[in-house]
Amino acid sequence: MLKRKRWFMSLTLLAALTAGCSTVSKTEPAASGSASEPATAEQNLEITIGRAFDVSGLDPGFLTENAQVVDNIFDTLVKRGENEELVPGLATSWSQVDDKTWEFKLREGVTFTNGEAFNAEAVKYSLERVLDPASNAPTASYVSTIDKVEAIDEYTVHVITKNPDPLIPTRFNRYPTEIVPPKYAEEVGQEEFAQKPIGTGPYKFVSWDKGSNVVLEANAEYWNGEPQVKKVTFRSIPEASTRVSSLLNGEVDIVTAVSPEDRSKIESSSNARLSTVERAGNTVYVGFKTDVEPFNDPKVRQALNYAIDVDAIVDNVLQGAAVRTNSLIGPKDFGYAGEPKGYDYDPEKAKQLLAEAGYPDGFSVTLDTVSWYAKNTDVAQVIAEQLKAVGVEIKVNNVESSVYRTLVPSGKQSDMYVLGWSSTNTLDADAAIYAILRSGESYSTYANADVDAKLDEARSSTDENRRQELYKEIQDQVIQDAPRIFLYQENQYYGVSDRLNWDGRVDTSLQVSTITAKTE
Amino acid sequence: MKRYVLKRLGQALLAVIGAATIVFFIIRLSGDPARLMLPPEAGEDQIAALRQSLGFDRPLGMQYLEYLKNLLTGDLGRSLYYKESALKLVLDRMPATVDLAVFAILIAVTVGLLVGILSAYYKNSFIDYVLNGWIFLTQSLPVFWIGIVLILIFAVNLHWLPTSGNRGLESIVLPAITLAAYPIAPIARTMRASLIEVMEQGYMVTSQAQGFSKRRRIFKRGLKNALLPVVTVISLEFGVMIAGAVVTETIFSWPGVGQLIIQAVSNRDFPLVQASILVVSAIYIMLTLATDLIYHVIDPRIKVR
Repeated sequence: MLKRKRWFMSLTLLAALTAGCSTVSKTEPAASGSASEPATAEQNLEITIGRAFDVSGLDPGFLTENAQVVDNIFDTLVKRGENEELVPGLATSWSQVDDKTWEFKLREGVTFTNGEAFNAEAVKYSLERVLDPASNAPTASYVSTIDKVEAIDEYTVHVITKNPDPLIPTRFNRYPTEIVPPKYAEEVGQEEFAQKPIGTGPYKFVSWDKGSNVVLEANAEYWNGEPQVKKVTFRSIPEASTRVSSLLNGEVDIVTAVSPEDRSKIESSSNARLSTVERAGNTVYVGFKTDVEPFNDPKVRQALNYAIDVDAIVDNVLQGAAVRTNSLIGPKDFGYAGEPKGYDYDPEKAKQLLAEAGYPDGFSVTLDTVSWYAKNTDVAQVIAEQLKAVGVEIKVNNVESSVYRTLVPSGKQSDMYVLGWSSTNTLDADAAIYAILRSGESYSTYANADVDAKLDEARSSTDENRRQELYKEIQDQVIQDAPRIFLYQENQYYGVSDRLNWDGRVDTSLQVSTITAKTE
Repeated sequence: MKRYVLKRLGQALLAVIGAATIVFFIIRLSGDPARLMLPPEAGEDQIAALRQSLGFDRPLGMQYLEYLKNLLTGDLGRSLYYKESALKLVLDRMPATVDLAVFAILIAVTVGLLVGILSAYYKNSFIDYVLNGWIFLTQSLPVFWIGIVLILIFAVNLHWLPTSGNRGLESIVLPAITLAAYPIAPIARTMRASLIEVMEQGYMVTSQAQGFSKRRRIFKRGLKNALLPVVTVISLEFGVMIAGAVVTETIFSWPGVGQLIIQAVSNRDFPLVQASILVVSAIYIMLTLATDLIYHVIDPRIKVR
């Protein structure tokens, strides 16, 4: 009935235009009658969030995408506070008992939204189902250092690792360690659980219309207080410009993954603002296959670094959508040691180094790139231009995304290739660099025994100071060795309706319970 | 007639299996679902274990034979990502695609026939040139450009219609217009050409000599005879739409088969890609068959053999 009425309204409006009296004011709310009509009362705040992808399942233990949606339904033992510091979640405290044992004290009196009690058994169950090799959990590698989980008493858990692992608290902040209700999960089985999830989180699952949206409603009994947003709809809007348009049209209140080109549209809008999260994205670089001529010579690699004007790329091609950096590690990551000095733009020096290395006339090589990074083709073309100036001929090869995901880890990419990496939401140097610098890792095309040893030590030391020191040393060594052209770290952008208080985060989480209405 | 239909159905079945076979091999040549399902940090042993549990480590021929065997029992497999019956996922998305296609083809047929008839009526006049120019333009503009511009005008600036999604009748207007933009041209052009040709036939000249007005000649006699090739064009264009309007569905986040296929291909979700192609090609082939039968109804002179 309502639908019919709206349809009629649109027709009337259409008639109004044909009659030549298009007096529809710009500020009038959309005829779409979306879920985001202005909240009449603060206590009944309903919002819609536009994301680039639909979920493919809602079980945090078996996700094939990030946990932006499910993290509102479930809790982790450890959470992150306003400044990304680790704070208590379902665990009230944690400590290291010995090298390989961590103790978590659990929050008492918490129940799942189906009434099941949260306790040590639930923690054990949630982890074991992911660790079970037979279950083929996609993100099992995030917790593969864990040997077993023991329930000491109702509210104490011991996590025992195979080797000393400094990242245990961090791992318990991130999927797949969300806690699920054992009885319900057993009863319905893995597949149904992924369709109708139940957790302890601030929101309860309502519906999932595949390919369209997921709807959640506030959990009135949430242990950390009932959130202000009472209902949230996550809509999938794959096309970036449509996503921004739906924000400007008032159909959605928050949009993720705003492309750099669309920033100005939001900035000039009267009902939304741009939320910039500096350096929340990938650190993008041009990798060299360091075991192949001519890139087995560090002088060649350094020369190519001198030949690139990164500032020009960041300012002119990316229009400031990234930050130039020589650091391997993001500023919010553990292990960050400020901005190290790298290679300044100096084509003369580049030519000189190339001559010293025995390539006075340069050489030619293919550079692979992929659409994962903003303006990737333009950036690659500019790199090709700049390298041409020092005699290096570049052929840019744009590879399809899914093919690239198979090509690079099997080492079949070209001798120069664009890649970006980040600590994702562990916010630790280990995740930011191990996989791309440790020799033998599938994404690494670099081998330095000294760096390998340090990476391994940093991965297994629980002494924070020592780790910090190691990462500093690794970074200095890598800058010297130049296994890559150091470029920049991307920013991330969100669009947020003016009626809401919320900003994007470096850990890319979207905690709806932290969203509040703007009071005027 | 019955024999003809049966023969055509047999051919259709072969064509569908052929399509399924091509898709089966091509998709397997270009990417590894095990690697795509796991995060980049996953170890090679984990990838190998997943590949094995999905059965993708076996020889291609063996996988293909098993696929055919399951196909015969109506089992199209389960989506790797959604962990649900692939066939059910495709059929669940079908209504949205059909809604959109029906709306779009109605728009395209209405406008296309109108333009075609008008420009045939005013052949080689100013009106004919203007209409032809306009048709040429709508056909040349890229679909994504039309979609984005429509969104900017009717959603962002005028606030009349929603930008995207499938929520109520008004949300179908913009995607339907976008999808209709291209087929208007072939429909209009075929209509024009066919009508002009018919108008020059001897019996039309006779009826002119008999003193029937031009309008009467076109609407009473011409149209009926000129419609045949137009029906073919319409049915082909409709078939293409049913196959999932990939670009339009993506721009307007329309939850149809097109979006599902795109997603399945980029994830290399083999069973889902195969199931969607199978369903879509089956529908397409059935539509062609239906068109041939409609011919018979429109023009009884065409003998079915």
